[in-house]
Amino acid sequence: MMDAISAGLGLFFTLQNFLAIGAGVMIGVTIGSIPGLTATMAVALALPFTFSLPPVTGILLLVGIYKGGIFGGSISAILIRAPGTPAAACTTLDGYPMARRGEAGKALEMALYASCIADVISNLALIFLAGMIASIALQFGAPEYFWLIAFSLTIVISISGSSLTKGLISGLVGVLLSTVGLDLVYGTQRLTFDNFNLMGGIGYIPLLIGLFAIPEVIEFYLQRTGHLEANKSDRTRVSWPEFRRSLPTIVRGSLIGVALGSVPGIGATAASFLSYGEARRASKHPETFGRGEIQGVAAAESGNNGVAGATLIPLLALGIPGDVVTAVILGAFMLQGLTPGPLMFQDNIDLIYALFAGMIVASVVLFVVGRFAIRHFARIADIPRHILIPMVLLFCVFGSYAVQNQMFDVVVMLAFGVLGFVMARVGMASAPLLIGFILGPLFEDNLRRSYLIANDAAVFIRSPICWFFIAATVLSLYVGLRKEMQSARLARQLAEKGQLAEKGSTV
Amino acid sequence: MTTITRRVATAALAGIGLGLGFATGAYAADYPAKRVTIIVPYSAGGATDVLARQVAQGLSEAWGQTVTVENRPGAGATLGTAQAARARPDGYTLFMGQVSSHGIAPAVYANLQYDAKADFVPIVWITQIPNVMVVPKDFEAASVQEFIDVAKGENLSFGSSGTGSSIHLSGEMFKSRTGLDMTHVPYRGSGEAVPALISGDIDVMFDNLPSAMAQIKAGTIRPLAVTSAEREPSLPDVPTLAELGIPELEGFEAVAWFGLLAPAGTDPAIVEAINAATNEVISGEAFQTYAAANGSAVVGGTPEEFATFIDGELTKWADVVEKAGVRVE
Repeated sequence: MMDAISAGLGLFFTLQNFLAIGAGVMIGVTIGSIPGLTATMAVALALPFTFSLPPVTGILLLVGIYKGGIFGGSISAILIRAPGTPAAACTTLDGYPMARRGEAGKALEMALYASCIADVISNLALIFLAGMIASIALQFGAPEYFWLIAFSLTIVISISGSSLTKGLISGLVGVLLSTVGLDLVYGTQRLTFDNFNLMGGIGYIPLLIGLFAIPEVIEFYLQRTGHLEANKSDRTRVSWPEFRRSLPTIVRGSLIGVALGSVPGIGATAASFLSYGEARRASKHPETFGRGEIQGVAAAESGNNGVAGATLIPLLALGIPGDVVTAVILGAFMLQGLTPGPLMFQDNIDLIYALFAGMIVASVVLFVVGRFAIRHFARIADIPRHILIPMVLLFCVFGSYAVQNQMFDVVVMLAFGVLGFVMARVGMASAPLLIGFILGPLFEDNLRRSYLIANDAAVFIRSPICWFFIAATVLSLYVGLRKEMQSARLARQLAEKGQLAEKGSTV
Repeated sequence: MTTITRRVATAALAGIGLGLGFATGAYAADYPAKRVTIIVPYSAGGATDVLARQVAQGLSEAWGQTVTVENRPGAGATLGTAQAARARPDGYTLFMGQVSSHGIAPAVYANLQYDAKADFVPIVWITQIPNVMVVPKDFEAASVQEFIDVAKGENLSFGSSGTGSSIHLSGEMFKSRTGLDMTHVPYRGSGEAVPALISGDIDVMFDNLPSAMAQIKAGTIRPLAVTSAEREPSLPDVPTLAELGIPELEGFEAVAWFGLLAPAGTDPAIVEAINAATNEVISGEAFQTYAAANGSAVVGGTPEEFATFIDGELTKWADVVEKAGVRVE
């Protein structure tokens, strides 16, 4: 054991490895901050470069890009409300209002702290609990997934903003939109209207960019009120009390990230929203969420970065890639002649330790690179809006085109921009739409798969994991709805007393 | 007015024709004179993409010209394929074809936007990957014959990476040949299906060898047979379905394959040039190492051999799809 660890450290401590991590994180942060260019894409494009590198160096380069990319997404989410990566969509909810208030620097800093802490917690889970977590993850079949997704869907209650009804409508529209394309089981076309471009479904990134970033652009051109409140964005810093207050949120978000990251196929976006929903539920002032609550940023960013290390758990312990990024990393392993899985812990344990060491260093590097990046990126908030907004629009167009090199995606993006604008005007939150869009297919797939596997409804209560998530779903619905009704009643009473003049404000 | 328009149009067309003719002649001599693009109908990072980037790198070095990969994913690879079919046939836009675009999709989709035969000229067959019939480690059959005996009268399930994939249709082919009653359970990618196989939620899968290899080595799933015509060097003890002596499975062959094609109308001289260069690249050490690590067999050969192979694939899959009734209207 000690021999293996020292052999692993020996394998890790080379200049090349440090350079790979540094380069990876820098590339990741940069690419991640550009809407439309995702961490996944960057990892995939970097794969060929790893062929000629030693295994540890190559894998660490990819891991660095992945970690950097997930944090990088928060930069544009906060500054221009265009999530750089899908996982940063949730960060816009409070990050952008903070930036509008002149606290861009503070929001970015909190995003970085939350990301790095979550990253460390995620790494520790990978290093010390991989075997245990992986064996639980392997017990997730279709029915277990079904209930996990059902539970996750209850967060729509927490992110619906001022009106639960409108939030539910928004969520259902998301589910409906997610059914466009080829049916999973029969391959039949659904809601494609014979349009060839819709056969593959509605693009995730065009929808995301359109829904979140474009409404701001439209709003600007309609009102022209255009500037951010006086800000010296790089001067605002996270204070110690703020950090201390957010710490429980960050730890909770990290654990949620670890849990969702270690079961294949769920992903960082769902984790960040779930973390956000839980943070709001736990807060004494849930009404501040969506209006620039620093804990909202902390929750979102700890949720998505908590996933980063944990997705490697099923990959290293079982040889099963949980998402596209880990599939690419699996490819990198295989091309080096290595097969991740239980055997790797026997045959190449030194290599595993070297990777672990590298991942911890990557968390530190992320912090350093992130500090440097936000100091410079934060200046974007100082750009006059009449210059910034056209640039945002340009990035939106470029970003949606870049995903598949299809002009159709740009049209989709613009259409969702208009939809997002209309929704904002009628006070309907757009976050539930996104959640419905992401989780809808998982919900449907696993429902149908469960039936295909067993052809018997009893399959839905076949294991303790099912029961656990059934209970969690019911509890979450009960607590969530009760809380929403209470606050609605409170708001009504206040309004009747004439103490609440403000009306129609939304997330 | 009309006559003038018509005259102008005729002249213009003639001009274009002349220009094209001239241009083609000029191109063939000093091809490639500029950047060459290979369209990949899948996202970056997938098996097809990684392969295309390997080939592109090799060709770049051989030609001293940049060869780039352009990802045009969507609609189960048919979107990018349709776009490649409409690209200018000047040899500067190539296409990384595979079993889906030029084998299965033409059989499955009724409203396809390309004709796999008429819109393309095959250049070279690059690699093939066998599928492997795998069962959970505790499954009560040690051979394919035992599997068939167990499956008779029971409704077993077979997993796949998605409807219309080679993994799905290999299963359908097995099902229709043996007359077994099996339920198809599609997942999104092998990565999701393999855990379900390990835990026994699904009973069997005809997975692409590379995505099953890790688990086969770890002993969590058990290979009963491979679907290629010959045994797989990395699994020498695993028989092919065809060699088992089971009459229904005689000649059973279902592989995933990859090869370069160009839009129809590309100058045959250019096709020959690309074929020669690619054969050179894929017989080189770098590519051989890559293929070995990846579990794929390097094929190579002439454009004619590749064309014959594609014809066979189109016929075979059309037959499987018809018997399985998985055509999409």
